[in-house]
Amino acid sequence: MIDPELQLLYPIDKALLAVMILVIMFGMGASLTPNDFKGVLKRPRLILIGFVSQFGFMPLIALGLSLALNLPPAASIAMILVGCLPGGSTSNLFAYFARGHVALSISMTTASTVMALVMTPILIHLYSQPFTQKIAEELGADTAFVMPTKDILVSLIVVLVPVCGGLILRRVSKGWAKVAEDTAGFMGMIVIVYLIITTIGRHWRLVLSTPWQIYVASIALGLMGFLFGYHVSRLLGAHPIQQRAISLETGIQNAPVAFSIILLSFPEFALQNDMLWTAILYALFIVVSSSCITLWLRKHGQFDWEVYRNTLIHTRLFGSDWQTRYPKGFLPSRIEKDPSQGALKGDVQRQDG
Amino acid sequence: MPASSRIHADHLPGLYQRAAERFESLPAFATRQKNGLWNPVSFRELYERGRLIGQGLIALGVQAQESVGVFSDNRVEWALADVGIQSCAAVNTPRGVDLTDEELVHIVTHSGMKRAFVETPRMARRVLDLQDRLPHLTQLIQLDATKPALEGVKSMEELESLGLRRLEKGSDELEARISAIQPEDLFTLIYTSGTTGTPKGVMLTHANIMSQVEHVPIQLSCTDRVLSILPIWHILERMLEVYTISHGTCTYYTSARFLGDDLKQVEPTFMGSAPRLWESLRHRILKTVQRKHPVRRGLFHLALFLATHYREAVFVLRGQDLRVNRIPPVWLGICKLRAALQWAVLLPWYGFFNAAVLETVRQSAGGSLKATISGGGALPPEIDRFFNAIGIQVLEGYGLTETSPVVAVRTPERLVRGTVGPMIPNTDLRIVELESGRILFPNADLPHAGRGLKGEVQIRGPQVMKGYRKDEEATASVLDKDGWFRTGDLGMMTFNETLKLLGRSKATIVLRNGENVEPEPIEMRLKLSPLIAECVVVGQDAKHIGALILPDLEACREAGLTASSLPELIQRPDLRDRILSEIHDAMNAPADFKRYEVVQDIRFLEQPLEVGTELTNLFKLKRHVIQDRYAGFIHEMKGEG
Repeated sequence: MIDPELQLLYPIDKALLAVMILVIMFGMGASLTPNDFKGVLKRPRLILIGFVSQFGFMPLIALGLSLALNLPPAASIAMILVGCLPGGSTSNLFAYFARGHVALSISMTTASTVMALVMTPILIHLYSQPFTQKIAEELGADTAFVMPTKDILVSLIVVLVPVCGGLILRRVSKGWAKVAEDTAGFMGMIVIVYLIITTIGRHWRLVLSTPWQIYVASIALGLMGFLFGYHVSRLLGAHPIQQRAISLETGIQNAPVAFSIILLSFPEFALQNDMLWTAILYALFIVVSSSCITLWLRKHGQFDWEVYRNTLIHTRLFGSDWQTRYPKGFLPSRIEKDPSQGALKGDVQRQDG
Repeated sequence: MPASSRIHADHLPGLYQRAAERFESLPAFATRQKNGLWNPVSFRELYERGRLIGQGLIALGVQAQESVGVFSDNRVEWALADVGIQSCAAVNTPRGVDLTDEELVHIVTHSGMKRAFVETPRMARRVLDLQDRLPHLTQLIQLDATKPALEGVKSMEELESLGLRRLEKGSDELEARISAIQPEDLFTLIYTSGTTGTPKGVMLTHANIMSQVEHVPIQLSCTDRVLSILPIWHILERMLEVYTISHGTCTYYTSARFLGDDLKQVEPTFMGSAPRLWESLRHRILKTVQRKHPVRRGLFHLALFLATHYREAVFVLRGQDLRVNRIPPVWLGICKLRAALQWAVLLPWYGFFNAAVLETVRQSAGGSLKATISGGGALPPEIDRFFNAIGIQVLEGYGLTETSPVVAVRTPERLVRGTVGPMIPNTDLRIVELESGRILFPNADLPHAGRGLKGEVQIRGPQVMKGYRKDEEATASVLDKDGWFRTGDLGMMTFNETLKLLGRSKATIVLRNGENVEPEPIEMRLKLSPLIAECVVVGQDAKHIGALILPDLEACREAGLTASSLPELIQRPDLRDRILSEIHDAMNAPADFKRYEVVQDIRFLEQPLEVGTELTNLFKLKRHVIQDRYAGFIHEMKGEG
């Protein structure tokens, strides 16, 4: 247990964090178009696969890791909290570079953000059951710890307000929406780097004293999310470029939302520091691991992507009746009959990052 | 893992046939239509129609190894005509429509051309107007099918139906001719765009072009898209088209006017071009950035800065930095250590900015470019650095029409900036001292086998031309009996096995836009002015011609520009304008000089040229010495813009 008196985040950090969350969520709203919402309705099957990975597997992975590694209760709850969150908008950028289906990634982020209002509080409540008693024991309290489910819902709503603000801005002015979107990207990067450097710089002792299980859990949560998303979506019939998007979407959670829930819903909680620390570690490692996964997916999927892209551009340039037939033996059997190498006509528009 | 789709053949007709068999319905060429869609021509169609055209040409009486003209700019029918000409074993003698009447007459008469393809009715009219001077040119065929052909000019359709009739009669002459093609037979005769003197006809063989297809190290496959902007009669473009056919890659024709749009539509994975294109592309990118929100502009420059330094470190770590001197191992170790540190510090930042900022910049070039090849002139270093930083590999190459054309080219693994890369396989290089004729590289007696020494670049390999047509004297002056070809370019071998070019030993100046300028006539004309005592015309790789001027002290005094000494005269603020107006008057006669030959910029020499150093004993200019001495001025001219 981390000393509750320890100032893990200084007031200035908290202020910065608040601004960052505001800007990021605002930027996320500003980047969404009505088409993105329509996109959700256009591909219900894929969204369902995404939903299953996001709200089905991720919380289970979090719970499984917490139990298997016998994590301290506060860290366990933080893990479950992170596991139950919607996808972050950074997953869209990673999906682009991993040569994944960007439109699908955006649709999944949109859908999961909306659905989080219902799913996140319920799931947290459900999966944190095994740990509430332990927390009470650790704190020496008489009564069992009660999950502040209502507060979590309220914090979620608070976080979603700037998203709506961004949506409105997008309707009013496209130019400013674009600026808001860009600013959000860089703001997020800079503040995350700042937080990582300052907190780790100030609390290097904490870095050393944190048990290895917490490190393993915070790294494995993302990685197992990628792995499950990738293979389960394949089993459910997704094509390679969709697989890549679903994989990244599953593993990358909206960490800023985690910070705001912890800060807003557990204000007087003695274990707030423990929770925050686990969330910070997740945010740190997910940047590194998703970069690595993206590079791997990009390299691995290079050939498939080139075939797919070429076929797509042929249809765009030569008309929708055009059929691209590669010479015999050129396509490996893996993708020869795969409809993602051409049958997705009109599904993927030009990807603009 | 990517499957190779390439095919091999001994000569061009064989290549076209195999391409049709292997790639069938895949597009070989595509052109933009008015409705925004593109019109593809498949490998099968290219071959079948090309054969009909070949039959048609035989029906017109074209003999094997006879020159057939193609006076046209880029269009799909050009490729069809070429397949036709190759199928009847004739020699494609191409030129763009911007040639002068004199050049046209020279090419037609010198090559003994009897039939020619012309692009448009307008081009046909031009040729017909010169008929008196072209008695042997009996038949024109018009490539453009959208406009009616002039009287006496055949359309492609007519030619094809002529061929079809022949085919139905069961003639097997076409097959017989194809199987009789020898590797030394000509496939093309290219008249170089010399400005003064008569253009020379470069004879290139099937063996020449097929060796390029085998040895040029470019990675392409059926899934690539090549955007074509160079004139098709330019040997680099010609070779690239044969190269793409051998890999089943589609070539998309664009033009300067539609380039920006076509980059986005086609999303090319590969492009070949002259330095001018990269210059204008960079200009376009920077202009777009200028218009952006100040925050985004700042981020772009930050990203560019990080990327430049990150790449610099990678170059050093990979041994791809320019090495014109030998570096002691200890010093090299220190450099590498420093680069490793720089690399590690920059990596995360570069990673982020590369993904977030530079990717959108790459989008303006379509976003899919894997590599690009630059030839036909030296690539200015700042352009080179810029594209490498933003993540578009520019593979600068070196070659001449006489070497079909590639001699050396950078590869992604050997991307040493400031050089034209390693020699391509099967090509020998030697560096020869100009004055003495001594071989400097490879020479075991010299330190480091002669690396880092400057001399004339000489080439031997399967790509070297057969010779200049009907000009044994000119052929003998560049091609010796052992097969060494004198390029007329100065260069050196670097310490990491790449060729670095250092200018030309011949007098011809090649401007950055590829125009050739012979300096002597300009210098002679300028020296007609009494105010100009000496002058040297410079401008290799620059945008325009410049001159180094030695003013005549006496004549200037008489003209009212009084000064007691040469340095004092040069200090006079009114001298520059006076001399420029002299130059303007001297070069004003429109017939004698082309616009790009007019001197645009001048500098003054502070002392007369010296015999022995800057002049030979016969008072001939040692241009490479002068070029070295005034490198600063020449560099300034290149940077203008």
